[in-house]
Amino acid sequence: MVDVPTQTFRTTETGPDWDRLAATSRRDRRLKISALTVFLVAVSIPIVLPYFWMVMIAFTARTGGADADTLWTACAILVPVTLAYVVGYQALSARYRTLGLIAAILIAGALLWFFLGDDLHLNNFRFMINPNIVEDIRGAATAGGQFPWVWTAFGNSLILAGTQTVIVVTVSTLAAYYLSRFSFRGRSAFLQSLLVLQAFPAITLVIPIFLIVFWVGLLNTLYAPILVLTALELPFFIFIMKGFFDAVPWDIEMSAMTDGASRRQAFWMVVLPQVRIGMIAIGVFSFIKGWEEYIFVTALRTGNSYWVMSTYLYYVREDVMGVDYGMVAAVSLLYVMPSLVLYLFCQKYLTQMTIGGVKG
Amino acid sequence: MAQVVLKALSKSWDSVVAVDAIDLTIEDGEFAAILGPSGCGKSTTLLMLTGVYMPTGGDILFDGARVNDVESRHRNIGIVFQSYALYPNMTALQNIMFPLRFQKIPDAEVRAREIADLVQVGELLNRKPSQLSGGQQQRVALARALVKRPNLLLLDEPLSNLDATLRLTMRAEIRRITRELGVTTILVTHDQLEATTMADRVICMNAGRIEQVGTAEDLYLRPQTLFVAGFIGSPPINLIAGTVQDFILKAGSTSLQVSCATGEVTVGLRPEMLIPSEHGLAARVIHVEPMGRETLTTVDTDFGPLRLLEAVARPNWKVGDRLALAFKREDSILFGSDAQRIDGAMADLVGSVDA
Amino acid sequence: MNHAFVKPQRTHGISDTVLFLGPAILLLSVFFLAPIVVNIFVAFSDMARTVRFEDFPTTQQFNKLGKLDPEALLGFELRGSFYRALALTGTFVFFTLFIFNVTFALILALTTTAVPERMGAVFRAIWLLPRMSPSIVYALLWLWVIDSTERGLFNQVIMAFGLEPMNLQLDHPMTVIVVANGLIGASLGMIIFTSAIRSIPEHLFHAARADGAGSLSIIRHVILPALRWPISYITIYQSLALLVSFEYIFLIMGPSRSTMTMAMLSYTKTLAPGIGGGLYAYGAAIALILIVIGIVVALVMWRLTNMKNLLQRPRIEVR
Repeated sequence: MVDVPTQTFRTTETGPDWDRLAATSRRDRRLKISALTVFLVAVSIPIVLPYFWMVMIAFTARTGGADADTLWTACAILVPVTLAYVVGYQALSARYRTLGLIAAILIAGALLWFFLGDDLHLNNFRFMINPNIVEDIRGAATAGGQFPWVWTAFGNSLILAGTQTVIVVTVSTLAAYYLSRFSFRGRSAFLQSLLVLQAFPAITLVIPIFLIVFWVGLLNTLYAPILVLTALELPFFIFIMKGFFDAVPWDIEMSAMTDGASRRQAFWMVVLPQVRIGMIAIGVFSFIKGWEEYIFVTALRTGNSYWVMSTYLYYVREDVMGVDYGMVAAVSLLYVMPSLVLYLFCQKYLTQMTIGGVKG
Repeated sequence: MAQVVLKALSKSWDSVVAVDAIDLTIEDGEFAAILGPSGCGKSTTLLMLTGVYMPTGGDILFDGARVNDVESRHRNIGIVFQSYALYPNMTALQNIMFPLRFQKIPDAEVRAREIADLVQVGELLNRKPSQLSGGQQQRVALARALVKRPNLLLLDEPLSNLDATLRLTMRAEIRRITRELGVTTILVTHDQLEATTMADRVICMNAGRIEQVGTAEDLYLRPQTLFVAGFIGSPPINLIAGTVQDFILKAGSTSLQVSCATGEVTVGLRPEMLIPSEHGLAARVIHVEPMGRETLTTVDTDFGPLRLLEAVARPNWKVGDRLALAFKREDSILFGSDAQRIDGAMADLVGSVDA
Repeated sequence: MNHAFVKPQRTHGISDTVLFLGPAILLLSVFFLAPIVVNIFVAFSDMARTVRFEDFPTTQQFNKLGKLDPEALLGFELRGSFYRALALTGTFVFFTLFIFNVTFALILALTTTAVPERMGAVFRAIWLLPRMSPSIVYALLWLWVIDSTERGLFNQVIMAFGLEPMNLQLDHPMTVIVVANGLIGASLGMIIFTSAIRSIPEHLFHAARADGAGSLSIIRHVILPALRWPISYITIYQSLALLVSFEYIFLIMGPSRSTMTMAMLSYTKTLAPGIGGGLYAYGAAIALILIVIGIVVALVMWRLTNMKNLLQRPRIEVR
């Protein structure tokens, strides 16, 4: 009789060394995460460094340029503090995160003051107070002598970005509601065309848009970039808002209509509050875009008929760069601040919006 | 308060007929239930009453006046959706007061609080819907529907989202409230228990048509169609189908005596109507289910499996037992090949003598 | 009960359409659709500074780009400047797309989802910084980084390693614009890929791990298959975007011949502030080529998205 070895799932030796496996797993996991973190830090530093650079130049540069040593010292302070904050961010609970941020800023500020106190100054920000800054530096015959005060440009940028945001949010919300709720002949075709337009790169149309604006008579006005930017952002934003409207249950609307509301009252009182988040999201997107716009602002005017922050900075760079790095940096800082602030506060919406299948 | 009449009411989308020329009268102050499986057209009928859907044929009359073309908001209807449809951005009080915004009522808040007390959500008025439980949300939805003193109250599957104990409470609550206010109410549901326990009259619908209208008792004891017999009653009725020859319905070695001479016939026998006795249909027990107060036993016969319901807590049988089932002749219900009840027809065990 | 309420229903139809859809249709027609049509006309004219149609229709603009030559490879031969522009465009799009917009975006997405969530979010936020900054500021920072004197950040770094300062703008212009646009482009892919990774059901990972898969295997067998669609989408979409982009090239390199892609050529000859010569028809001709490519690719993407729509309804969730 042949002795056939029986297959069992139990081995006669002792089982695997669970403790050792666990220790190896822990070590491997830690190694992996450390390696990834190191990699991410390494690629992120080149991104962040120039921004710190700019901030420090704004606060330390004197006519002629910035001292490299100062800048490196500053970065040697700022980068570790930021890293500490980033790593700590993970470890701290929500309540302490804001405290952590404030602590990081205070520590950074204190260290900077300690090491570089002598070099810090606000002279580069004098452009905020002195309306004739470029003339002071270069003499009267620069930029056609029409160089404005920074606050004129700032104000115009606000008007441009703000108005455009209001218009685009309104128009796309209304259109999206209609597309979501009403059925009409050609609805499918309309949606398909929007999809095609959304994928189409609008920047190619800058020349004919210029011509159309010229023929309509809006050249050299702020109306032009406002309307143009709105129109070009519409397909994308309409889709986003439509998604939000699609998610509002229809029976709320029907309930409102049975309760006595007309269709439009139901829209205004009951449906619209449900899509508030979407409206905020596209509002933020659109404001940031309007604030930074350069191409359509410069293309739709001849000469320097109006100034916004982007063109202001461009000309400051052109005229003043070689002479006064510091001021250029300071102007940049002022310009970047609103974008940064908006971005940081609304990060929740911008970085964590998950979009299944359609562009982000 | 209104009398509602549906005359040859139809609704179809392209080629799909959802509601097929139904006629119905619901009296002022009545509590009626439209009962039927999913897709039978009951919700469509409800939405036509609301004004959300436009009928493709027929008329809807409130107190004799045709309202087909009247907008939803002018029909003075209160509706409670299955999901309650409370406005998430408003508090309970604001939800309840919402309908009053469109009428010029000087003491709107007073009225709202009154009705809130009636449905017993008076303490919850400052909460948002997300902070309310399912039962509380439903009460708020009910209050909102009633605050405008509607002619007609419509309820779409009101109890289906509630757990069992809550269902029991709310059944009584809703009934109490509608009785107190005297408002004409139409309830739409697929749950026969909901319909039979709450409504004065039940309208059984299937595939866009009305199968039968009557009291719960009517539908249970005297179903007019095969569908109604099978839909109403839990555990469901036993149905024995076959071809009659010479007054005999035969299967295997078992026979039933039937008062029709020939034809396709279905004999209906409710589980509680089957009586274990010495002589009768030969059966063998295949499954026993104690259900608390009663016991449901499934037996195998030549006519196929039959259900037997006995009012005992402890089962009388175990699997494999053999027994004989008898029944009273009057308890049998016969349906013809057209699924309609054959009036006066009865089935009986072979060998029984006419009384 | 009174019968006074029995009123016939008003038809809201047209007024609703006008109110809700009207503004959108108006804006889109005037500033999106009309320009496409206008561009076609202008490309076949000789419109320049005077903004007048003197000679129409004419193919003289296209003659400046190339001429028909039956003996040439494809039936036409391109003129030197346009040929150069085409070549530069190809190089630019290819390298930016493959190194940054797709590959590095993928790496970022994979790495930031492999580390704890909050930390990953912070790194993603950092990588979005270039996109969120105004283009001028970003360009300015680049100019400071590549400054050819010792002041340039890049030169400072390499000098620390003992190397000589370099003039990147002059010697490696394509590298500069590829990296500059790449850093911006990577962020979009990063977001899309991240959200795609996050929507992979958790249990797939659990099952893979239980089956003994290591990290690399999980990437290959669980993550990448789920990313097939987003990767194709980003590749097509971003190549189109890169094909037509000129803003950063202009702001960093100016009208330098070494980076004169097709889009730059069109812009520089027409509307570039300070140097634009108003050769609208010429610019429109080049733009027409880009527009046609744009429409074709957009239609392709529409078809692909539509196929996807059949399988998955687009939806947006804010977490």
